[in-house]
Order: sequence, then C-alpha cells, then structure tokens
Amino acid sequence: MRRFPKVLLFYIAGVYAFLFLPIAIVIPMSLNAGEYLTFPPQGLSLRWYVAFLNSEQFTSAFVRSVGVAFAVAILASAIATPAALFYVRYMRSGREKFRLTMLAPMLLPEVLTSIALLFFFNQLFFGTGTLAPLVIGHIVITIPFVFLTVTSALYNMPAGVEEAARTMGAGAWIAFRRVTFPLIKSGIVTGAMLAFIMSFDNVNISLLLKPLGTSTLPIQLFDYLRYDFDPTAAAVSTISLSLTLTVVFLIDRIYGLRAVRF
Amino acid sequence: MTAVQGVDLDVAEGEFVSLLGPSGCGKTTTLRCVAGLEEPSGGRILFGERDVTRLPSEHRMIGMVFQSYALFPHMTVRENIGFGLEMRGVRGGDADKRIAQVLDTVQLNGLEERYPRALSGGQQQRVALARAVVAEPQLLLLDEPLANLDAKLRDEMRFFIRSLQQRLGITTLYVTHDQSESMIMSDRIVVMFGGRIHQIGDPEDIYNRPASAEVANFIGQANMLKGKVVEARDGVATIEAAWGRFTCGTSRPVAAGSVVTAMVRPEALRLANGADRSDFTGRIVARHFLGNVFDYRIALADGTVISVQAMGGNAPPAEGQVSVKIDQEKAWLLQ
Amino acid sequence: MRLRLWSFALPALLIVVLFLIVPYLNIVLMSFRNPSPTAIYAPGFTIQNYVRVLTDSLYLGLLKDTLLYALATTSICLAVGFPVAFHLARTDSRWRGLLYAGVLSPLLTGVVIRCFGWIVLLANNGLINQLLGLAGLGPYRLMYNPIGVTIALVHVFLPFMILPIMNAIQSVDPRLGEAARTLGASGPRAFVRVLLPLSMPGIQSGVILVFVLSASAYIIPMLLGGGQVSTMPTVVVQQLMGGLLWPFGATLALVLSLSVLVLVALFGVLNRRVMRGVA
Repeated sequence: MRRFPKVLLFYIAGVYAFLFLPIAIVIPMSLNAGEYLTFPPQGLSLRWYVAFLNSEQFTSAFVRSVGVAFAVAILASAIATPAALFYVRYMRSGREKFRLTMLAPMLLPEVLTSIALLFFFNQLFFGTGTLAPLVIGHIVITIPFVFLTVTSALYNMPAGVEEAARTMGAGAWIAFRRVTFPLIKSGIVTGAMLAFIMSFDNVNISLLLKPLGTSTLPIQLFDYLRYDFDPTAAAVSTISLSLTLTVVFLIDRIYGLRAVRF
Repeated sequence: MTAVQGVDLDVAEGEFVSLLGPSGCGKTTTLRCVAGLEEPSGGRILFGERDVTRLPSEHRMIGMVFQSYALFPHMTVRENIGFGLEMRGVRGGDADKRIAQVLDTVQLNGLEERYPRALSGGQQQRVALARAVVAEPQLLLLDEPLANLDAKLRDEMRFFIRSLQQRLGITTLYVTHDQSESMIMSDRIVVMFGGRIHQIGDPEDIYNRPASAEVANFIGQANMLKGKVVEARDGVATIEAAWGRFTCGTSRPVAAGSVVTAMVRPEALRLANGADRSDFTGRIVARHFLGNVFDYRIALADGTVISVQAMGGNAPPAEGQVSVKIDQEKAWLLQ
Repeated sequence: MRLRLWSFALPALLIVVLFLIVPYLNIVLMSFRNPSPTAIYAPGFTIQNYVRVLTDSLYLGLLKDTLLYALATTSICLAVGFPVAFHLARTDSRWRGLLYAGVLSPLLTGVVIRCFGWIVLLANNGLINQLLGLAGLGPYRLMYNPIGVTIALVHVFLPFMILPIMNAIQSVDPRLGEAARTLGASGPRAFVRVLLPLSMPGIQSGVILVFVLSASAYIIPMLLGGGQVSTMPTVVVQQLMGGLLWPFGATLALVLSLSVLVLVALFGVLNRRVMRGVA
C-alpha cells in the first residue's frame, strides 16, 4: 500500500470537494420549499419541478435537446466509426495528418468554431433558420470523441482475429460482422454516449447556431440565470444532471470510464 | 523493401515442411502469401493444379494457427471451432459431431463452453489447432505457434502437433526460428536468410551438408576451415590449409587453386592421444566444463579458432599443444 | 479496392473539411472585409479592422484582461491540480477507479450547471458567505467580479490539467525515483530532479489546454461576471448575436486566438530545454 503524507490526502480531499460542491449543491436547492436560493433549504418541496413541467419554454427546450443529442449521437457514430476503421486497418501513409484532421474539432476553441460556423451558414447556406446547422455543428465537435473510442477499441482487439476469420472462410463483410463489430461494439456505443452528453450539454455552438425562437436546455437555463434567480433553475439543472449522469453510469457499466482517454 | 525474393518451393501432399530462419528472414511473409493474407508482387502460388495467387484467403480451404492464437474472445471454445465449419456450410448436428471429435483429438473435452480468457496458454494453443483442422483443410499453416509457451510445454506440443499432422495426413507448412524444433518435426526444412532460400533438404541433409556458412552456423555449431583447393574429384576435394591438408565432401565442381571454406562439426573432431595419427596440431586457448564434456577452443596455425569436445576421462589439460583428428567423411565444402 | 476503402473515411473527412476547415478559412477572410451595420459585410477588403483592434486601448485592454484571466486560471489549476494528478497516478487504492471518475465526471455535467452551482455558493447570502459569517467574517463580494469568474474558471478547467499530468506521471517508472534516492537524493530533491522533468510533457499539455480553454471561455465570465466582467469572447459573442459588423467581430476573435497561439508557442520554446530527452 503506497504511503502518501496525510497532508496531501487532506489537500486532495479538499480539491475533490471543490470539484463536486457546486454540482452537488444544485440538487438540494431544487427541493427548496422557499422562494430564494438560500442554503440550507427552507423545507422540502417539489414545486420547482412542477414549475419546470409547467414552463413551455423549458420543456420544449428539454425535448429539443434530447432529440438533437440523440440524432447527433447516431450520426456522429455512423460517420466516425468507418473513418476509425479505415484509419486503424487500412491507412498506410499520411496517418498523422488524418488523425489530426479527425481530432481538429476537439483541439480548436469551441467559441471560435461556433463563430466560424455562424458566418459559414449565413453566407453559404440558408442561415440558421432550421435545426440543421445546429445538428451539423454538434456532429462536427463530437466526431473526435467517437473516433477516439472506436480507434481505442480497435487497438485493444486481440491481434490477428480478423485474419484468422478469413483463413477460416469468412469474407470481408462476414469477418467484420461476426468478429470485428462485436469486439468494437462497446467502443462505438461509448463514443455515441459521449457524443450524446457533449451535444446535450453544449452551449457554445448552440448559442450561435440555434434557430430564432427556439432553444436548447443549457441555453434556456443560461438565459434564465441571467435574469431570474429561483430554484426552478435548480430543478432544471438537477433534471439535466440526472440524464447525463445516467448516461455516464451506463458508459461505466459497458466499457469502464478508465477507457475514456483523450 | 523486398521481404522475400525468388522463393521456389514444392511441397508434396502430406509433407511437413518447415520454414526456418532468424527473425526478419521472410519466412512469415512467405507463409502469409501462401495463406492469402499478403499478395506477392510476382510469381504464382499453386495448390495442386490450381493457381490460387489471386484467390482470396477465405476461398483457399486452409487452416492457419497464428503465433498469438487469435482466438475470438467473444466466442466460446465451441463457437471458435465451429466458426470455420459454419463458414463452409456445415451446421447443426453434423457440426457438433465434428467439433466433439476434434476436441477429443486435442484432448480438450469438457471445455466447450469456456471462453478463451479462462484457458491456459497450452489449452488456447490446442483450441487454435483444433479450429484450424476441424474443417479438414487441404493445407495447414502454422506461424511459430509454440513461441509463447514455456520450454516443457513446447517440447510436448512439438510431438503432439507432428503426430496429429501425420495422423491426419495434412500438407503442412511450419514457420519457426528454432532449429531443433524444425529438425525434430519436419520431413524437409527450408532455410531462409534475408528473404532468400539458402537450402531445402531433409534434416540430415541440412545438418551434414549445409549449402552455406549461414546455414551451417544456424543449425548447430560449425567450425570453419579455410584453405585452397588442391584437387577435386568424385565428390571429394583435397584442401591445403595453413596448418595442414585434409579432404572434405563436396557436391559441386571446384577449380584447383580456388580459395574455399569447409565446415566440420565439433563432434567430427577428436583430440588425438599421442599414439593416434593426427591431422594437425593447435594450441589450446580455452577450456570449459559443460558437465558431460569439456569444450576446447583451439587456435590453429592461421589463427582460426575451432571448437572441439572431449569426454571427461580423456580430456587433455587446459593448456598446451594438442593434436586434432578430423573425421574427414563429415567435413563439407561450403558454397 | 483502395478507392472503395477511402469511401469509409470520406464522410468524416468531408464533414471536417467542409464544416470546420472551410469555415475557419472563411473567418480569416472575413476579418479583412469591411464591416456593415446592415449586412453581413460590405464590399471590399481592408486591414482597418486589425488596425482598430491593435491601436484602440479599449480592445487592447480587453485582450490583456482575457489573457490575464487565462494566466491566473492556468497557474492556479497547475498548483491545485498537480498534487491530485500525482496521487491519482501513483495510488494503488481500490478507490482509484472512483477517484478517476471523480475527476472525469464534472466534465460531463455541462458548464451552465456548474456556474449555477457557483452562483448559489458565492452569492452574498450563499453558502460560503454563510459559513464565513459563522466565523464572524464577511460577507464578501465573491460574485459579479473577477474573483467569482476566476474561481469558476479554475473549477471548470481543473480536470483538463489533472488528466494529462496524471497520464504523464503514470508513464514515469516509479523506480527512477527510487534509484535517485539510492544515489543520495532526498525525497523532495528526487522529486524535483527526476519526477518533475519527466512529467513535463503532461504539464505542458495541461498548461496549454487550460490556457487556450480559459482564454476562449464565454459562458463563465457571462454568468459569474454578471455584466461587470468583460473579456474578449464575451464582447465578441455579444456583438455577433446582437448586431452585425461581423468582420470586426471576426478580427477580435482572431486577434485573441493569435495572441493565445503566440504565447503557447513561446511557452513551448521556453520549455524545450527542460524537455530535452524527455518528450
């Protein structure tokens, strides 16, 4: 058992508390019976969740966020998985450049990407009247995540199983379907779930690319927080948290969070 | 970069042929070409009369055992073995029967439902073997299958694989860098260096009549004797060396006066005891005790150091001049 | 055959090229156009935008503030995060997976929620001030000022410092430290002379990552600054959303990005001596 100085351990506990306190405090706030964002809560109540359900703005934003995140997760996985397969199995020259290109959206500041897409869609396409630019923007920034998890799964495959399958009579498609795919499935699903979370939580891209008059949940919350300060925001935050944490939990069950490496 | 050059090889049906050589010599590349996992840039590959050079791997009816076994981790032993059968259209009761049979052959009964990670290295190896032979392929290819096993298991598996092969009568190509392994198992050995074949022959041939210095050094120990040809007739050459004259066998004509090297194995040399008529003398430079024998390093007149072994009782002391006798029937002229 | 294989990668490549690389090139182009209050841009090209940004003390001050925030955040994250990264890399506790998840999961909870949590904590009658009040201190203004913004910036970007450093330390053989000790180096000296230089690649990654991220942060200064704190990103985004004059906004964004890039490159160069033989 490695020995660490007690001081260090206390310090680290403090840092973890620092990391979790703001997130954790939102939950009891949402159950506050009182009007104000005071802590400790003055009694317990679900009224703020009711307020959330009664708010057309919040509920429609929630539904929109979930829908977009879902679409983004599926599309990003469908696009990035073949690219990852190609990169790991068939690419010979120019590998570093390809990899850099695939990871570029993750390496560039999101605000800048958002601005770039705002200009782009308004100049060259039909503006941001539909959800399409938003979805595309989300797909662009989530592709790197799926790419990383799928390439990681491919590298972790035991050596030679695909070739073994071929020597046993399996053609390329069957070898992929019966051997490769089952072995990288968890990588694909993990990537898809990460894409879901990244899209659901996204603010920078959504802010500039959302169609006028609509909103996503984080944006709606952001707008709300600039002017109103009541525990509705806490209820919304808790709901959002529950959704993303459920997905994180599912990732951990399937693949283990240890495998998420950037 | 050329990995393999000018490989010309004929394997008879049911024959066990080893591709032997140090790592990087091209033996694995050659095997993979035969398997259809790599495409040769030139030449043809024929299975019998059939030209399979352009034929994809999955249509070649082969069985291959990989060095890492490459068992499918997400399938049970039964499913792993049954995969090849399924690909070739054998399912249901028929398949079950054959799977049970092959498991019996490799002595893994009772482990059908296990996953590869729950098996020992030796067991995984046998599953890989079973998986390769169950569909009765026309050709069995093995790529250093025993490299990851410990010494004792390796010994057992050598005999096991060989006897299995003989029982099934499958034509087999076996890649290895272990010369004793290829000597034990093969009908014929193909020795390769740097992408080229140096010699093809049966184990006795390779050992006693190596085609090149590399082959001679790779298989067992060899003493290299340099000299000039005095005359060569009827497969025997007389060589004049700085320390004396000797004869050796040869398979090719050599011109008198040419400078050549002959090899003679340490066991074909004897330290002479005074009374014996000796061929030449040399000076002992080192003596090592190996348990059953003493190994002597002896310097000859031209500086060559040779290795000779002597049994405990008759061993001369560690220093001084000795006389050495060559069993000249065993000396061989190198290319 | 190869062409057919390339079609695997084509959709992804197309998306990244069309929707990332081209738009970025377009921003650069945009920054040289003439701004217009009624259209996306007015005809013609100019370098006036850059001149304006680089000579107006308002914008230079904005740039300076933004970079200072980034610098402060990065330094604090480094000081706070390094011990955590070290512990995480070296511990063999059975809670290790949980601790790792603990560092990773804040990243997956959304920046707005995290800011909201800080608002609750840092408000005048928030939890922190209440606790301080118990000790007879405060209340302090911890929000709507640089303090609150910096705290939130550190909080949000701390995992980005911890993870690369953790990875780097993990790849350093612990026996190297032990070897140093057998050669007479005390614990701290072995740490400074052996572990620190060898974990430099990770430190460098973390520093660059946090610096770039905190310099381009928008949401955090907006929420925790409450309109009192202006950084380049907040000004740019406000302007782009609220009005046109997009070419000018583009210039602001690019000047910030270039400044960040220059500083990062400088950092890389300065670090090269330390990284000799390590990276």
